[in-house]
Amino acid sequence: MSGGGPTRKRNFKIEAFKHRVELDPKYAERTWKVLEHAIHEIYNHNASGLSFEELYRSAYNMVLHKYGEKLYDGLQNTMTSRLKEISKSIETAQGGLFLEELNARWMDHNKALQMIRDILMYMDRTYVPTAHRTPVHELGLNLWRDHIIHSPMIHSRLLDTLLDLIDRERMGEVINRGLMRSITKMLMDLGPAVYQDDFEKPFLEVSASFYSGESQEFIECCDCGNYLKKAERRLNEEMERVSHYLDAGSEAKITSVVEKEMIANHMHRLVHMENSGLVNMLVDDKYEDLGRMYALFRRVPDGLSTIRDVMTSYLRETGKQLVTDPERLKDPVEFVQRLLNEKDKHDKIISVAFGNDKTFQNALNSSFEFFINLNNRSPEFISLYVDDKLRKGLKGATEEDVEVILDKVMMLFRYLQEKDVFEKYYKQHLAKRLLSGKTVSDDAERSMIVKLKTECGYQFTSKLEGMFTDMKTSQDTMQDFYAKKSEELGDGPTLDVHILTTGSWPTQPSPPCNLPTEILTVCEKFRSYYLGTHNGRRLTWQTNMGTADIKATFGKGQKHELNVSTYQMCVLMLFNNADGLTYKDIERDTEIPASDLKRCLQSLACVKGKNVLRKEPMSKDISEDDTFYFNDKFTSKLVKVKIGTVVAQKESEPEKQETRQRVEEDRKPQIEAAIVRIMKSRRVLDHNSIVAEVTKQLQARFLPNPVVIKKRIESLIEREFLERDKVDRKLYRYLA
Amino acid sequence: MYTPPTTSTRGRVRLNVGGRVFETTAATLAAAGRDTMLGAMVDASWNSGVHDDPAPAEYFIDRDPSCFAVLLDLLRTGDLHVPPGLPEATLYREALYYGLLDRVRSARLGGFDPDRLRLASSVHGRSPGDGVAIRAAPDGGCCVSHGGASGVVRVYNWMLQERRPVYYPSHAPVNDAAYLDASTLLLAARERPGRRDDDGGVSSFSALTGETRHRFRVAHDRQPRSFTATALAFDGGCDVFASCKGRINEYGVAVWDCNTGEQTGFFYEPPGCALGEADRLQWLDGTNTLMVATMFPRTDSSFVSLLDFRDKSVVWSWSDVGTPASLEDKHAVDAVATEDGRSVCLVNQYDDLGFLDLRKNAASSGGVRWRSRSKLATMSGGKTKTKKAACGEETCYPKLAAHGGRLFASTGDAISVFSGPDHVMTSTLRCSNGGAICDFSIGGDRLFALHGEENVFDVWETPPPPII
Repeated sequence: MSGGGPTRKRNFKIEAFKHRVELDPKYAERTWKVLEHAIHEIYNHNASGLSFEELYRSAYNMVLHKYGEKLYDGLQNTMTSRLKEISKSIETAQGGLFLEELNARWMDHNKALQMIRDILMYMDRTYVPTAHRTPVHELGLNLWRDHIIHSPMIHSRLLDTLLDLIDRERMGEVINRGLMRSITKMLMDLGPAVYQDDFEKPFLEVSASFYSGESQEFIECCDCGNYLKKAERRLNEEMERVSHYLDAGSEAKITSVVEKEMIANHMHRLVHMENSGLVNMLVDDKYEDLGRMYALFRRVPDGLSTIRDVMTSYLRETGKQLVTDPERLKDPVEFVQRLLNEKDKHDKIISVAFGNDKTFQNALNSSFEFFINLNNRSPEFISLYVDDKLRKGLKGATEEDVEVILDKVMMLFRYLQEKDVFEKYYKQHLAKRLLSGKTVSDDAERSMIVKLKTECGYQFTSKLEGMFTDMKTSQDTMQDFYAKKSEELGDGPTLDVHILTTGSWPTQPSPPCNLPTEILTVCEKFRSYYLGTHNGRRLTWQTNMGTADIKATFGKGQKHELNVSTYQMCVLMLFNNADGLTYKDIERDTEIPASDLKRCLQSLACVKGKNVLRKEPMSKDISEDDTFYFNDKFTSKLVKVKIGTVVAQKESEPEKQETRQRVEEDRKPQIEAAIVRIMKSRRVLDHNSIVAEVTKQLQARFLPNPVVIKKRIESLIEREFLERDKVDRKLYRYLA
Repeated sequence: MYTPPTTSTRGRVRLNVGGRVFETTAATLAAAGRDTMLGAMVDASWNSGVHDDPAPAEYFIDRDPSCFAVLLDLLRTGDLHVPPGLPEATLYREALYYGLLDRVRSARLGGFDPDRLRLASSVHGRSPGDGVAIRAAPDGGCCVSHGGASGVVRVYNWMLQERRPVYYPSHAPVNDAAYLDASTLLLAARERPGRRDDDGGVSSFSALTGETRHRFRVAHDRQPRSFTATALAFDGGCDVFASCKGRINEYGVAVWDCNTGEQTGFFYEPPGCALGEADRLQWLDGTNTLMVATMFPRTDSSFVSLLDFRDKSVVWSWSDVGTPASLEDKHAVDAVATEDGRSVCLVNQYDDLGFLDLRKNAASSGGVRWRSRSKLATMSGGKTKTKKAACGEETCYPKLAAHGGRLFASTGDAISVFSGPDHVMTSTLRCSNGGAICDFSIGGDRLFALHGEENVFDVWETPPPPII
C-alpha cells in the first residue's frame, strides 16, 4: 500500500478510500483457491491442518476487495459439486444402509456447513445483506434439499424407505427409531414445506389406505368392544410414533386420519353391531367399553350425537315397554321402582362411562320425560310409591336414606307433564295416611312437602300444608274438648275427631250413614262444644273416612279388640241386637252407600282369620240376597284384630275416570286465569300466540290441551272478558 | 505457589495480535458467541487434536493490537472504553472484522435517559438545500430529508457514516419519512403538477442500498390515482398509513400492508375533519386508533382527529375553527399524543404548551388548556429572542415529541424536556451553532436535532451510567 504519509495524520477518510484500491486479479483467484481447498478439506474431515484465522482473513480480504460475488459464487459451486458426489455415495448405499448413509452424510454436511460459515462469516455479515443473497447456512440447506433430497435417485427411495419402516413398525417389527427421528428432523430443518411435501402428505395418504383396509378387516371379524380396543390401541400407537420420531405438528393430522378411517367411517355399523353394539353395552352395563366408545367417538364429528341418538331411541323403546306393559301396571310400587332402577342404571353409565356429559344427561332426561308421560297413570303411581314408602317402606331407614329415596322420586316427578294430577293423588294419599295415622315419619312427610314446594312453588303445596295444620289443630281441639267436658261425657265411647278444612282435603261429599246411638250422643256433644267455641262454622261428618276400635266378646267368652272402619263399626253394632241380618236390613239400617257397604261386608265376612261375621251362602262375593250372622266361632291368636277394609290401593277404572274429570275441571279456571293474565298485558293477540303463551305459563303444572284452551277462550268471550277483532277474526282483544 | 499445570493452563488462550501478545481464557472469547470470529476460532470444531496439549493454545491474528485491546476489554467487562486518539471509525472497522459490531453498538449507546443526555456529535451535511425533516432509525442511525427539488434523503448508519442517499423516483420533494425497521425506509413525497402520473406518493426503500422496495399505490373506484402524501405512520405490526391528497374528492388516509405494498383501505375525509394533508400521523397502541393532526401554517385552522380503522369511524376530533377573535393569534402548530394515550399535547407559535383531553368529548371539554408561556420566557430568556432576531425571516415553528414518559419541545435553538404529570420543564438541550431547530426525532437510544441553518444535525446520547 502506498500513501503512508496522509494515513499517519489520522485522516481516516483518505485511508478508507485507499483501502479499496483494486488488487491484482490473480490475488483474488489465488485466495479463492486457498479457500476452495479448505472447503474440500473440511468435507474430507481434514480440517485439523487448516488455520481458521488465515482462512477468515482470506475471506475477509476478498470481500473487502469487492470479490464478494466471486467468493459467494465459488462457495455455491464448490458446495454443489461436493453434494453431487455425496449424492452418488448415498445412492450406492445398499438396502438398509441407505438411511444410515444419508443420516451420516447429513451430519457431516451440517458440521462442514458450520465450519464454512465460520470462515465466511464476514461475507455473511456484509456482502450477503447488501447483495440480497441467501445467507451461507440457509444456502447450504437449500443445496442439500435440491441436490440430495430432491435428487431423482434419492427422493422416492427415501420416501419409500420411511413409509416402509413405519409400515413394518405397524405390523409389529422393531425399527431404529433414533434414525427415523434424525431423518425427519433433517426434513424439518430443511423447512416445514420439505417435511410436509416430501414426507408428511404421502405418509398421511398411505396411513389412510392402511387404516381403511385394517378397519375393514377388523369390523368383519371383531365385535364392537374388541374393535374399539383395537382402534384405541392404534390411535395411541400413532400418537406415540409422533412423539418418538415425527414432528409434533403431525399429531393432529395423523390422529385425524385414524379417527376418520377407523371410527368415523364405521361409526354407524359399530353402534348398531348385532349382539355387541351400543344397546348391548347399555343392557349389560359395560362401563369400560362404553367409556372407550365415548372417548373415541368424541374425537370425530357427529360421533357423540350418534351415540346419543341410539341411546335415546333405546331408552324410549325400553321405557315405552316398561310403562305400557299391562303386567307391570298391576303393582304401582314395583312399576315406579323399575323406573327408578332404570334411571339409576343410566345415571351410572353416564357418570362412569360418559364423563357426566351434559348432553347425555339431557338426552336421558328427555327420554324419561317422553315415556313416563306415555302412561297417564304415572302421576298416580308415583304418588302411590311415595305413599308406600311413607307408610312402611321407610321403617328402619336413616334420615339420609329417606332423603335419597325422596330425591329420586322428585326426579321422576320432574318428568311429569301432569303435575296437577300428581298433586291430586298425592293429596288423597296423604289424607289417607294422616287420617289413618299410618304415616311413619312426620319429618319425611314434611321433607317431601318442602321438596314439592321448592320444585313447584308455594301454591302447589299450600293445601298439603293445610292438611298438616288441620291435624295439629284437631289434636289440640280434642285435648281441650276432653279437658272441659270429661265429666259430662262419663263412660261413653271415646271420640277422636279430625276437623278437616273444606277444600284442603280431598273429601267427596258423601251422605253420612246412620251412626249407632252411643256414638251419635258423643258426636252431638262434640258438635255443640265445637260450634260453641268457633262461630259461623259448619260441621259435616265424614263417616266414610273414620276408624273405630270396638271390643267384642265371642262364643267361648273370648274377648277381642277389633280395629275397624266407621262403616264396619256401624254394621257390627247392629249385631248387638240381632243374630242374623240380611244385606237389605243392613243397608236400610245403616244407609251406607252400596259400594262401600259391599266392600266393608266383604272384609268382615270373607277374609280368613278376620271373619267376625258369617255369611250365607258362603261365597267370595257379596250379593244383595245374602244373610249375615255373628260368627260365634271366631278365634284369633291376637287380642287386637285389625280388620282392614278391602281397599283397592290403585284406583278402579271408574274412580280413575272420576279423578281425571276432577282434574280437568280444576284445570279450567287455571287456564282461564292464564289467558286473562296474558291478554291483560298484551291487549291484542292472535289465537296461536295465546295457545303458545298459555302452554308456556302452565307447563310447570300440566300440559294444557289446545282444544281445551280454545274452549276456555270461547267461554271467556261469552262472558265478555275477550272479544274477537272485528276485522281479523283470528285476533282477540281484551275487554277491560 | 504451586498449581497443577493442568488447571493453570486449562482454557487459557494466548493471542498474538499484530505482534502484541494477549492472554485470556477461551471462555472470555467464547462469550462473544459462536457467530463471531473469536467465538468460532476457539470452538472445538477448529481445534481438533489440540485437546491433549498442556500448553495454552496460541493463535496469531493479523490485526491492529490497539483496537483489539479495546474489544478484548469489552468482552471481559461489557464496557466500551475508547482511549483518546483511537478513531472511532477504526474501532468500528475492527469490530466488524471480529463480528463484534453489535456488541460495540449496545455498549456505545446506553439506555436512553432524557435527564442525562449529552451532545455526542454534530454531523454536517453536503446537500445544497437545508434539511426539513430528520428521523431516527431503530438501530441508532437516522435519515435527513431535504426539501426543494432534489428529492434526496440522506441516510446515516448508527456509526453516523453516510450511506447511499435515497432519491425519490423522479426526485419528487419528500414531505415525511419513517423507518419500518432498521433497514427499510418509507418516504412520502409531493406530486408535482404537470409531471407524469407516478410522480409523488409513498414508497419504501432499502436503507442500506437506497433501492426501491415497494411502491404504495392508491386506487379510487379501482382506478389507480396519483397523489401527494404529507405524513406517514406505522402501527408496528404490518399497517402503514399515509395522509393522501389526490383530486378534489380523494382526500383522506390510505392504509397499506407493509409486506406486500397492497392497499388495504382508504379513510375518506369526512366533513369537519382535515385528513388529506396532515402534518403528523401517530399510531396509538392503547386505543388502536390513528391520530391525524393538521396544523396551522398548512391550513387556516388546526385539526386533530382520532380514527378507528376497524369500523371506519372518527372516534374523537377537535379543531380551532371559530375560536374567539381575541385568541385568534394563538395557533397550534404541532401536536403529539402523550404515551398514555389520554391527551394530546399542542404547541403554538409562541412556544406555549396546551393539552386536549382525549377521554372527554372535544366539544364538551372546553377546548385547549393552554399553559402559561412564562416557562420558556424565563428559562431561556433573552437568548432565544436575540437568536430569533438574528435569524430574521428564518424562524422555525416549534415541534413536539413524546418519549419515555417525557414531552420534548423544540423552541428556537433548544429542546426542552418536560417531566411528570404536570409537565414541568426539567432540562434544556442546546447546541452552539446551526440556528433554530427545525425538526428533531428520538429513536435507537438517541435524539437527533436538525438545525435550520448550516446544514447540520446534532446527536444526543446518554453516556454510560457511573460505575458506582
